[in-house]
Amino acid sequence: MAFRLFRFRHFSRQLLLLLVGLIALVQISVYLLITRANENNARKHIEQSLQTGARIFRQNLNERIEFLAGSAKVMSADAGIKPLLMQDPVDKNTLRSVLLSYTDRVKAPVISLFSPEGELLALTDNVLGAENVGPFGELIRHATAGDMEQASGYSYLGGRLHVLVVVPLYAPFPNAVAWFGLAYPIDTAFANAIKNTTLLDVTFTSDPAEPNARVLSTTLSPIMATAVARHTAVKQEVSSGSEMLSLGGEPYVTLFESLDLLGEAPARIALQRSLTAELAPARELERIVLYISLAALAAATLAALWIARSISQPVQQLAAHTKLVAAGDYTRRIDLPREDELGQLASAFNHMTTGLADRDRVRDLLGKVVSPEIAAQLLQSDMKLGGEERVVTILFCDLRDFTSFSEKLPPTEVLALLNRYLDRMSIIIEQHGGVIDKYIGDAIMALFGAPVASPDAPERAIAAARDMARALDLLNRELMSEGKSTLGFGIGINTARVVAGNMGSKTRLNYTVIGDGVNLAARLEGLTKDPAYGTPIIVSDATLAAMKTRPPARELGEVKVKGKAESVKIFALSAKGESQPPYAS
Amino acid sequence: MKARFILALFVLAATTPGVAASAELAITVKGPKGEPVADAVVSLIPLDSPAPPPAISAGEVGQQNQEFTTYVTVVQAGSRVLFPNKDTVQHHVYSLSKAKKFELPLYNPGQNESFVFDVPGLITLGCNIHDWMLAYLVVVPTPWFAKTDPAGLATVAAPAGRYRLELWHPRLATLVTQEITLGVSESARRDFTLTLKADKRIRRGGATKTGGYR
Repeated sequence: MAFRLFRFRHFSRQLLLLLVGLIALVQISVYLLITRANENNARKHIEQSLQTGARIFRQNLNERIEFLAGSAKVMSADAGIKPLLMQDPVDKNTLRSVLLSYTDRVKAPVISLFSPEGELLALTDNVLGAENVGPFGELIRHATAGDMEQASGYSYLGGRLHVLVVVPLYAPFPNAVAWFGLAYPIDTAFANAIKNTTLLDVTFTSDPAEPNARVLSTTLSPIMATAVARHTAVKQEVSSGSEMLSLGGEPYVTLFESLDLLGEAPARIALQRSLTAELAPARELERIVLYISLAALAAATLAALWIARSISQPVQQLAAHTKLVAAGDYTRRIDLPREDELGQLASAFNHMTTGLADRDRVRDLLGKVVSPEIAAQLLQSDMKLGGEERVVTILFCDLRDFTSFSEKLPPTEVLALLNRYLDRMSIIIEQHGGVIDKYIGDAIMALFGAPVASPDAPERAIAAARDMARALDLLNRELMSEGKSTLGFGIGINTARVVAGNMGSKTRLNYTVIGDGVNLAARLEGLTKDPAYGTPIIVSDATLAAMKTRPPARELGEVKVKGKAESVKIFALSAKGESQPPYAS
Repeated sequence: MKARFILALFVLAATTPGVAASAELAITVKGPKGEPVADAVVSLIPLDSPAPPPAISAGEVGQQNQEFTTYVTVVQAGSRVLFPNKDTVQHHVYSLSKAKKFELPLYNPGQNESFVFDVPGLITLGCNIHDWMLAYLVVVPTPWFAKTDPAGLATVAAPAGRYRLELWHPRLATLVTQEITLGVSESARRDFTLTLKADKRIRRGGATKTGGYR
């Protein structure tokens, strides 16, 4: 069934579909392969970036902690603050102004000072109250218990996620007289800084187990960040691998990490990168590949059309030419100046046409040399020597005294006159279905009933003889009016069983008849010269007997034919008695 | 502030006997882009006669809202300058400048310390516990000086005579000096276009909101 669908009436369309289809198939496959490979690569690359990003993030935090701790240590060694701490009671206002001065030195937005017992002495941030700095106290207790020179951790300060560092103020070392507490927020600016180094989007969300997981800070738009928070709440667990999230219709490869907090449930970090953004350069390449593919397809279409046309057009030309040749027009030639197979075919075709024309001409010529019936017989048969026995009516016709007549005239005139005479006679014989067997000088030998059998051959022969006599009268009148001498002839007709066929040598044959009956016909023609008979047409009894209706004829008696035992009855046939042939024409 | 200087000049003129005719010098100071430059100090140091001594103790650099009350203060050499603490927190004013090195260790609001500044020169004032606090005290050997207002204008009235004009500004790399002769009852005018260095003052409480990430 499918095979039937792809049947074409035109070779060009077939070639077009094949070429274009193949190229399109290849191009589409290549395009799809590239797209898939790009996507896989991008995803793999993003996963690597995410892992790297996670490490950079941790390292960044640690560096910040170390930097803060280092700064705090320098700060705690500052002499300026010591006289303030010596006063009793401590001037908390001045102390706070000193801490504000420090914020610029260490670039920490939150600096606080605690007594060794954990009492808040001063805090730079006037929004955060004493009730919000509990995590510092926890860190100080932890550091004091562990006799540590610094401690750090993550916690919420006033609801915002911060990284916290506590460092003791030694006076002198190792006597801690106060504790510095420093903090900076893990906010959008921090997230953006991570994004700047890693090109990843970062989102911090609160404990996913909370009823409404909050977005703490993010580089994403608020809607997308909320979607991430909702996802963490649904998912809860942190998996080791990355996953694909669809945010705002864009696919994001996302890696979740957990961030432990001081005395609270851990927060969640989501690192992500847009697959679309990662793929952007590849998409550009794909678009270029697509353009090239389309251009190649267009070029292939044109090429296929051109090739198809260059093949189908000559083929159509050949087909049209074949129709002409079949119709018998051999004069045309195909003009196809090509070196290829089609060109060879065209020239072969031209040769063939020439051959056909030659054969046709030979056939024409044959028709002129022999009678059309014989020619047809010759062309149909295998041109073999040999013949068959059949009943044939033979007509001999010879001019009277033509030898002496010709001596009086120049040869060209003789030939012209002879041709004029033979032409008239031959036409009449052929009109009556007779076949000119041969011309023997001024004599004509004609056959009726051979090579094509005819039931009314005798009637036709006799009718022909009568018409010939009339035609001769007509010719003589013309000759007389031209002032030339008139002609006279004699006709002998006999019907006999003879051998008909191709006779001669292997290279040259004649279709003719032989037998006694032929000789008798010639003899009967010879008898017309005898004035005693007084007739130009002598017919044998055999011929008259073979006719369906015997015509009126004057019996001339019997003649003995040479070489034959019995005598033959002969009759004179009047040439002027009947105006119509006794058979239907 | 301008009123104060005009008052000071009036007092100077009134208390300087023997100076019959005084001339007036007006100056304008502009920055590289043509913007007016405030707090530029112009002083006229007499070349032919010694400058009269300071008549009054004029000069105060107070502390308020954890800032110095004036950014640039000019006094004649030999003047006493007050440093009153008008704030709610303690301060610790100090100078490490060659012209005068001193400190006022942690002192409480309401206290009013003072020093006499005998040596002409530039004194840079700071607070030991508030990094952002900064003020300049310019001590000049002449009673004829002025400070440009926000429009970059200043006027000095001085007796006729030959002077060395000195122009100073906190952001100027080197002092600008030129000789100038003022005629009797003459109104002279000088325009200055200065190439200024970057303003490097510490921004109080600035740049710390982001935890160091900008």
